[in-house]
Amino acid sequence: MSGPTRAADFADLADDPAPAHVAREPAGRDGEVRGRRAAPAWAEARFGLPLHAPATGVAIGPVRMIHGAAAMLATSVLADSGIEHDRGQYHNPAMFLPLVSSTLSILASLDGATRDEKRAHPLRLASYGIAMTVGLLGTGFHLYNITKKPGGISWENLFYQAPIGAPAALSLSGLLGLAAEGIRHETADRPPTLLGLPAAPALAALTSLGLLGTTAEVALLHFRGNFQNPAMYLPVLLPPIAAALTGDAALRPDRRARPQAKLWLGITAALGVAGVAFHAYGTSRYMGGFKNWRQNVLDGPPLPAPPSFSGLALAGLAALALLERHGDD
Amino acid sequence: MSSDPFERPRAANGRAPDVFKTGGWIPMRQHRDVDEVDFAIVGTGAGGGTLAARLAEKGFSVVAFDAGPYFRPLEDFASDETAQEKLYWNDPRVVQGADPIVMGGKNSGKTVGGSMVHFAMVSLRFRPEWFKARSTLGYGADWPIGWEEMWRYYDQVERDLSISGPITYPWGPPRPRYPYRPHPMNAAAEVLARGCEAMGMKWTPTPLATVSAPRGEAHPCVYRGFCRFGCSTNAKQSTLNTYIPRAIRAGAEIRDLAMVGRIETDAGDRATGVHYHRDGQWRFQKARNVIVAGYAVESPRLLLNSATDRHRDGLANSSGLVGKNLMTQPNQAVYGKSKDEIRWNKGPPSLAITEHWNYDDEKDFHGGYCWMGQGPLPIEWAKTMTTSRGIWGDELRLAMQDYNYQVGVKMVGECLPSENNRVELADQKDRYGLPVAKITFGWSENDKALIRHALDQMEMSMEAAGVTDLFRQEEDANHLGGTVKMGDDRRSSVLDADCRSWDVPNLFVCDGSVFPTVGGVNPSLTIQAIALRTADRIEQLAAHGDL
Repeated sequence: MSGPTRAADFADLADDPAPAHVAREPAGRDGEVRGRRAAPAWAEARFGLPLHAPATGVAIGPVRMIHGAAAMLATSVLADSGIEHDRGQYHNPAMFLPLVSSTLSILASLDGATRDEKRAHPLRLASYGIAMTVGLLGTGFHLYNITKKPGGISWENLFYQAPIGAPAALSLSGLLGLAAEGIRHETADRPPTLLGLPAAPALAALTSLGLLGTTAEVALLHFRGNFQNPAMYLPVLLPPIAAALTGDAALRPDRRARPQAKLWLGITAALGVAGVAFHAYGTSRYMGGFKNWRQNVLDGPPLPAPPSFSGLALAGLAALALLERHGDD
Repeated sequence: MSSDPFERPRAANGRAPDVFKTGGWIPMRQHRDVDEVDFAIVGTGAGGGTLAARLAEKGFSVVAFDAGPYFRPLEDFASDETAQEKLYWNDPRVVQGADPIVMGGKNSGKTVGGSMVHFAMVSLRFRPEWFKARSTLGYGADWPIGWEEMWRYYDQVERDLSISGPITYPWGPPRPRYPYRPHPMNAAAEVLARGCEAMGMKWTPTPLATVSAPRGEAHPCVYRGFCRFGCSTNAKQSTLNTYIPRAIRAGAEIRDLAMVGRIETDAGDRATGVHYHRDGQWRFQKARNVIVAGYAVESPRLLLNSATDRHRDGLANSSGLVGKNLMTQPNQAVYGKSKDEIRWNKGPPSLAITEHWNYDDEKDFHGGYCWMGQGPLPIEWAKTMTTSRGIWGDELRLAMQDYNYQVGVKMVGECLPSENNRVELADQKDRYGLPVAKITFGWSENDKALIRHALDQMEMSMEAAGVTDLFRQEEDANHLGGTVKMGDDRRSSVLDADCRSWDVPNLFVCDGSVFPTVGGVNPSLTIQAIALRTADRIEQLAAHGDL
């Protein structure tokens, strides 16, 4: 088995004229086979993963960031579904799945973020693939849970039955993890790809959509809470700005710095952290406050939910870093 | 720390209990008995408490009296069915007639905040046509107020109480979105919904006066289920934790454990103040205006007890209608057993409702009704089983084991006004030496037809929802109305549209007793809407020097 060649990479981007800085790079160590365990062929085929990429002279930063993003999302999912499914008393055994899957996703992300190797690992890929699948299944389950209630898809059921948007966070974690694996072969001279698409704009688009989806869920649930504290408008109003700027970066992926987008993604990331504090304050307003934590952590605003914004913002920042380095190469 | 609220008045020494804090106090302005205050208000429930707040906020000096104690929900409302009977007006009354009304928890309150402290929080608007029931539907009487005007006051009270209700309400003309979102439905509400869907009827989460999210110092509902008692979380938006604190902030004085026994009038037709019993003695508070808000039994009783040589049949009673036209709403139910666990005591009892038969006139009797989900607590349930099914002993004990599988629906219906149903004075005296109320009531043929129809419909819906072992609770009634009715004509009513007595121009009555008809919904929201309107009208009358 041989790794992809520069020519093969360019073939993937046949319609994409290679910018000058790529052409100037010397064709050096590509194709070298190292004595490492290789990713399975399907991974190579689907994600264009270079299995034998060089390990030196390349920044691994964005990879770490995206693994970090995947880990944050998965942690949010683990804690949130842990609390909510415990509240639901695991009456369907499938309710354990997101806990297992998000744990795998966290482990994979920690492993991925701490390794410098330039290729994907089959166990990490499997973990992320499972997360993506379980997230999709979860959406189906939650939708079924809503529709079987009297009133079907109604405000009442969207407010209080299984949250329709929540499992998507697990899928996003999986997708981000796969993206992190997919760009491990990034070098200064060769832009990474995902599913045959240039990785940076794809990642930016994914982040933008993820932010919008998360915002939609927050809007629904904060509407349910009647925006009783004006701060509840912040995660509805601010992340869409970051989403718009990141979306713009995806649509116009020229190579340049994007301080505005970075700033708003930074704000969104901070908001995810601040959200935990706000939700803790909200929980304290329930009867008995934190002295009655066993009830109020279940009934109050979900403490682990807001960091999904931070995770997505981190992925957005990674996408911007890649774009800054490669543009739409 | 906190004292026994029954032992001595809490609202004294320039302070009143802070209902949001255990052992807490808020500063309260106080008046001397010799100060002629603008308004002496008798009763602090849906009518009196609301008026106290609005009038004080409009700059009037206000003293509001309540015969009951001043509770702090966080410390005084134990989760105990029996202990909570302290909230009711359990003083002696004489009941009689073909269908004597059971007085107590379902139709009275004796506490600052009135019966709203233990009301089930169901906050519904009248059907618009009911305000002109005689002209548009051919029964009962017309109100002197139009529905469009009431709609504006409903908007206001729904905001003031942060009613949690559905995004869109399925019946009647458009109304603004409820201030807070609806509560999650419990299994009992789902059974109601399935029954309605099977019968092709609309249903909705019930608009409730308990907050689904934090509001100020009030915690959101914890779905503890002690909703028809005092709400110990303050989620219930009763007068006690909404309008009363507002009233005190605006300068009103609340006097708890203060029983008003008589309204004093001068040689002419003006009220001059009220005699009240507090701290072991009778006192007299001077007032420029008096507002009576003691509900459909105590309000007419006070007017009748305030008779003078000039007003021999009782104050404000030239029409002879004080105490007449007493109404009580039919509150029958159908119960049964579900194959799935229900646990109907979880959450507010009436989380879902259908008003289908309030808006559908295809029936052979007058009036309408709605029905709601139910969640009786164990003692009430045992009583229901005993009275409705006649079971006792071992059989009752075994039946009680099905508690978590029981489910049912209960109606709130319209009773037609009749002068035969009335409140008078009995010969017996209460502990203050005042003649107690004698209450005479019997269902009319129309009422009975309405109840039969409702029981049949409710039973069909329960059957359609798969509920088995059905039985009917045929004898129950709740909210009162009538006895001091408002109207357009001084010969056929006691009050004008502003709740002002035709006879005594500085005397007002503002509570459920002013209702010419009761409609087929719970009355509290309508009482409060009328109180808000009355406050506005009083302000306008004062501005024109007509007070």
